[in-house]
Amino acid sequence: MDPITFSIIRHRLFRIVDEAVITLKHVSGSAITNEGHDLMVSLYRADGSLLMGGVGFLHHLTSAAEACKATIRRFGDDINEGDVFLLNDPYTAALHTSDIYLVAPIHHGGELVAWSACFVHVYDIGATNPGGFCPDAPDIFTEGFSSPGIRLVSGGTVNRDVMDTMLNMVRSPEMVALDMSSMIACNNVARERMLALIEKYGHETVDEACRTLIGQSEELLRERLRELPDGSWQSRQYIDVKGEVFKVALTMTKRDDRLVFDFSGSSPQAPYAINCTRWASLGGLFAPLFPLLCFDITWNEGVVRPIEMIAPEGSIVNCTRPAPVSVATVGAIQSVNNAACAAIGKMLDASEKYASEATAVWHANHFAVFMFGRNQHGGEAIGILTETFAGSGGARNFADGIDVGGEIPNPISRMANVETLETIFPLRYLFRRRMTDSGGPGRYRGGAGMEIGLTPHDAPDGGLHYVVSGKGADFPMSEGLAGGYPGAPNSYIWVKNNEAEPDPRNTDAGFSRSVDDLPGEQERISWGVFPLMGDDVLYVRWNGGGGYGDPLDREPETVLEDCRTGAVSRETAETVYGVVIDESLSSFDPSATAARRKALAAARIPAEAAE
Amino acid sequence: MSRRFSTTLEIEAGEICCRKCGHALGPAGAPWKRHAAMTEIPMRGAAGVPYSGGERVVLRRFACPACGALLDSETALPEDPFLDDVLFD
Amino acid sequence: MNGETSYVIATDVGGTCTDTVVFAAGEPIRIGKALSTPPDFANGVIDSIRSAADEMGIPLGDLLGRTGLFTHGSTVVDNALLTRGGAKTGLITTEGFEDTLLVTRGAYGRWAGLAEEGLKHPVKTDRAPPLVPADRIRGVPERVDYKGAAIRELDEEAAEAAIRHLVENAGVEALAICLLWSPYNPAHERRIRDIAAAVAPGAYVTISSDIAPVPGEYERTSTTAINAYAGRIAHDYIVDLEAQLAAEGYGGPLLVMQGYGGLLPAEEASNRAVGMIECGPAAGVIGARYLGGTMGDPDVIAADMGGTTFKVGVIQGGALEFAREPLVDRYHYVAPKIEVVSIGAGGGSIVSLEPRTGVPRVGPQSAGARPGPVCYGLGGTEPTLTDVMTLIGYMDPTTFLGGTVPLDIEAARRAFEARIARPMGMDTNEAAFGIFRVAAAQIADLIHEITVERGLDPRDFVLHAFGGSCPLLAGVFGRELNVKRIVVPYTASVNCAFGLVSADVVHEFAHTTMRPVPTPADEINALYAPMVERARAQLADEGFADGDISLEWSVDLRYRRQVHEVTTPVRASTPLDEAGLETLVRDFEALYERKYGKGSAYRGAGIEMTMFRLSARGRMTRPEIPAEPLAGEDASAARRGKRDVFVEAEGGLAPADIYDFAALVPGNAFAGPAVVHTPITTIVVQAAQTARMDSWRNIVIAFD
Repeated sequence: MDPITFSIIRHRLFRIVDEAVITLKHVSGSAITNEGHDLMVSLYRADGSLLMGGVGFLHHLTSAAEACKATIRRFGDDINEGDVFLLNDPYTAALHTSDIYLVAPIHHGGELVAWSACFVHVYDIGATNPGGFCPDAPDIFTEGFSSPGIRLVSGGTVNRDVMDTMLNMVRSPEMVALDMSSMIACNNVARERMLALIEKYGHETVDEACRTLIGQSEELLRERLRELPDGSWQSRQYIDVKGEVFKVALTMTKRDDRLVFDFSGSSPQAPYAINCTRWASLGGLFAPLFPLLCFDITWNEGVVRPIEMIAPEGSIVNCTRPAPVSVATVGAIQSVNNAACAAIGKMLDASEKYASEATAVWHANHFAVFMFGRNQHGGEAIGILTETFAGSGGARNFADGIDVGGEIPNPISRMANVETLETIFPLRYLFRRRMTDSGGPGRYRGGAGMEIGLTPHDAPDGGLHYVVSGKGADFPMSEGLAGGYPGAPNSYIWVKNNEAEPDPRNTDAGFSRSVDDLPGEQERISWGVFPLMGDDVLYVRWNGGGGYGDPLDREPETVLEDCRTGAVSRETAETVYGVVIDESLSSFDPSATAARRKALAAARIPAEAAE
Repeated sequence: MSRRFSTTLEIEAGEICCRKCGHALGPAGAPWKRHAAMTEIPMRGAAGVPYSGGERVVLRRFACPACGALLDSETALPEDPFLDDVLFD
Repeated sequence: MNGETSYVIATDVGGTCTDTVVFAAGEPIRIGKALSTPPDFANGVIDSIRSAADEMGIPLGDLLGRTGLFTHGSTVVDNALLTRGGAKTGLITTEGFEDTLLVTRGAYGRWAGLAEEGLKHPVKTDRAPPLVPADRIRGVPERVDYKGAAIRELDEEAAEAAIRHLVENAGVEALAICLLWSPYNPAHERRIRDIAAAVAPGAYVTISSDIAPVPGEYERTSTTAINAYAGRIAHDYIVDLEAQLAAEGYGGPLLVMQGYGGLLPAEEASNRAVGMIECGPAAGVIGARYLGGTMGDPDVIAADMGGTTFKVGVIQGGALEFAREPLVDRYHYVAPKIEVVSIGAGGGSIVSLEPRTGVPRVGPQSAGARPGPVCYGLGGTEPTLTDVMTLIGYMDPTTFLGGTVPLDIEAARRAFEARIARPMGMDTNEAAFGIFRVAAAQIADLIHEITVERGLDPRDFVLHAFGGSCPLLAGVFGRELNVKRIVVPYTASVNCAFGLVSADVVHEFAHTTMRPVPTPADEINALYAPMVERARAQLADEGFADGDISLEWSVDLRYRRQVHEVTTPVRASTPLDEAGLETLVRDFEALYERKYGKGSAYRGAGIEMTMFRLSARGRMTRPEIPAEPLAGEDASAARRGKRDVFVEAEGGLAPADIYDFAALVPGNAFAGPAVVHTPITTIVVQAAQTARMDSWRNIVIAFD
């Protein structure tokens, strides 16, 4: 088609998504949507296939396509102008019940020509635990309101009965109502702008541009795949729940212009809510694939076509109803994200042309801590600690991972200020800082994670409760690449210190600098609902990014700099990087370093292997 | 003509080789890790205080048996197989 | 002097040029231009004023000697950040929170300021290097809580040790001090400042509760660091400029533009480096507002497109939009600043084909001023948007920039043919028309998004087209956006300098504290009383009579449990009474819904006030822009024949009337397609559009 008109229409389609995202954030006004950017807006073709994916939480792009398709299957001819459908059943398309999809058909001249879809993580979904993550839910039935598709808006008018029924089942219905309004408004903007585009250029032309756009993305990805070497790469992710271990195993095989993700060998579905459904796994592998392989390609159906997924039925990555899945997004889906990122990183690293795109795994373990209780203003506070969006970057082929640089599947998140969080929750931060030695060692170091300490402050009920879930604290998950070590694992410690000190003013009690200084019994936790009362402290440390290459190849000057900036300890500099640094961190000893490095390399060769 | 396998390995004359010293690690097209020098160290404390995970978790390090260059590493439970990467011909 | 004309001079230092406008009652506006001279920008300022004096035929000393007021905006602080030319800076924080600046609220500092290409490609992104590296940051034991209660006293010995370490061991020249919750209780920060003054008297010190007293420690810390980093440079620059002006004969006051669009006396400005960030573009918006006011248009989209960037400011009902999350060179800061959205699109934007798809695009790379467009003949080899403009007949090779730069159209054609047209399999003209349409459509998309973000509709606005490249495209993207009409201002080339003379002296005060709605009006008034007293004293000190002083109150409100805050002006008379307070809350709700959309308001959890602001304005006497009497519509005396140019409605070349701007007189009108050549730009009037020169010599383009 005419490349000029195509260029203009493509640009506009991207802007339409952008404008819809702005609308979503404006109307919603919630912290998770605005700070965490835990949202997604995309445009879909009339048949529900992905047309233009926006920059949001990327594992939703393909499953919202499935939501559109499921709606078409369910409602057939009864899909009318101005309708909006709600869908959040993970066994139909969604990821977990609290990520609600609103999908809206776009009609032109009476004909269905496109869909818009969006999601936000709603304030509450009426599940067992506030906020939606339910570590101990035995099945989907206890994970709150769920619908495989219901008409929320008919011909532009909200169906009061439907909306009220849904709101009747959740905590803080006003907040959820706002989430729903934001998604309706977002779809409206997408529709208006899409129709304006069609008005200007005509349906035929826009349709041709859309077809071309999808065809082009497919051709571009296939061409890129052909440039990459043929081979197969394996990766593995562990999840630990209460001492039980679950695995997501991946063999990724690339031949010619096809890429197959085979999850055979993954654990059978778990009795815990870490499972994910098939559509969630597919979304989970695409979340890193879009930015790693398609950074210069429009994210749409064309990118989906060359990809195949094998996910054994009844496994943790393709669970069978009614297995619980509410923790999926920070459970098996994120494991799929990580496994795919690790395998794609290896494939890129095998290519001269694309090695500079290779990255170790970023922020592999969300620590979704949901706080709930009464706050210092007398109101109810339910909310995620947005630090969970502030993961750390994996090391790259040419540079270190970015300290607290975020994550790949949700590239543009941010965390809230301490001063914001101390206003919302009756909490006081003891510290929030980078964690020394948390980034995976390597020639390029993984980005550092952080550590925080929280204690109740001015809480009318003496404190709060919180839900902690995810993938546990036993395993590091941000795998390294080409020899780089994985980033350090998460750690959650409940420090029980209920014998309250007197007024902490003018004393250092209550102002401990580190977890080691905290008085009280320390219990490692990672799963369940816990109190944070009196002078209790919740300590959370989160994973660093994976490293890249051999740590003994890291420039000694750079390791010295790492020690000065607190990224690496002097001990680790010596024992892992082999760089011998004086106590004042003023210099390293070149000859001692050379000797140390030689010894460390030799120690990697067990006696029986040495020739 | 050599062909890249990763930043630490390459394929030379049908064999997978250490990029640092050229030591061969078996034929191209087959898993190479059993030809490498493998050390398994506890993940706990592997690289500083924050490496605080489960007791049974290990860091497998695959090194060149000739020069000691670190070629690859992986997180594992001892009973789990190696992660195998293969480039097809 | 001998009672002669008293002049007002405004000089704006931009990245490339330093522009001057000279006003005097009853005289035409005089313009001076010179190249900017980084890092010693003051030299370029003197050059620029001299160029205006030359134009007037008087010596520089005479002009300055007869000048009663000098207003100034400068890019000196932006430049210090861009070139990393600031002071070696140390940072003192609350113990346990040393990394706040470095970790930039997670990924935020990594992606902020990136375009789509960057956002989609995280592996190739990074933060900007921090202005203060980790080894120059020290935490000190102390703690204030969310209510402002000091729950842990400052460890003064530790503070002194930290200062000594930074100054004596690390060799820092400037100190930024930012503690948690200092906006609610600045005592600890002030105490550390005093300790610094005693133990490190040579260091330049900024405390956060002075420069940015707002909650949100990352942005506040970043602001404090920027101010400390660039503070000495800004200070020395202003002192130096004052001395140079005095040496050349100027004896009046120097007023310096701030990013919020108000002027500050030199002494105050010299300690607020962050205030000067992007003050030039802010002045541009102020200028557009003034012009809009003069022309009776309170709703204006001010678009400025030069060689490398496209900038847009929005004025609604005569009110300015302030930036919520301002960035300078990817560093966040909080200071009241007029929102000017900027993207890398200009005449120098390189036109290319995506390597793998062959889809044409404009930018984001730019040929800049050097080597510049191919047609400038300065060594540029990649076709730019300006080259496309020449190919489609918009530029007159003989009159470009007053005939000073000969345009090599053939070189532009060869490059465009080889790199764009032939690979696209298109005729050169067709391809060039296409690229022009792509550029216009991208700008329309950008402006649309900006207005949506503010809950506005572009159809309600007049478009002001500034800069060398904007008036070429405005006829097309203005039509697409359906703006009311397009104005190409007479002062378009020196718009920022023009804005400087239409600004007032404005001091911004703020008191940060949380109050629920309802709170008794007396309590609010009590918060304002000390600010009001200080403001009046300050303005009186600066010589403003009571009648020229206005105190504008505004309050930041939000719905509880919502993140969006809206600065709401107090319309009622102040001090407030209960009715006035109710009006304020009603206005907030209306503003909120307008900005964030219908149904976005959630009253259930209540409303709270988070900041109490005071703008203290000392009204300056604005120079009148002389309105000339209107002559007849007949513009034929200015017509210089016909030329084939690209006419969008025709989809190709069509004959257009060519006009010489210098020969047009107010009242002249002509129909498109037409092209007007001015010494600094070219104005293209598309078909079905009518242009008219108004009594201020602006070209106003209306849609038929």
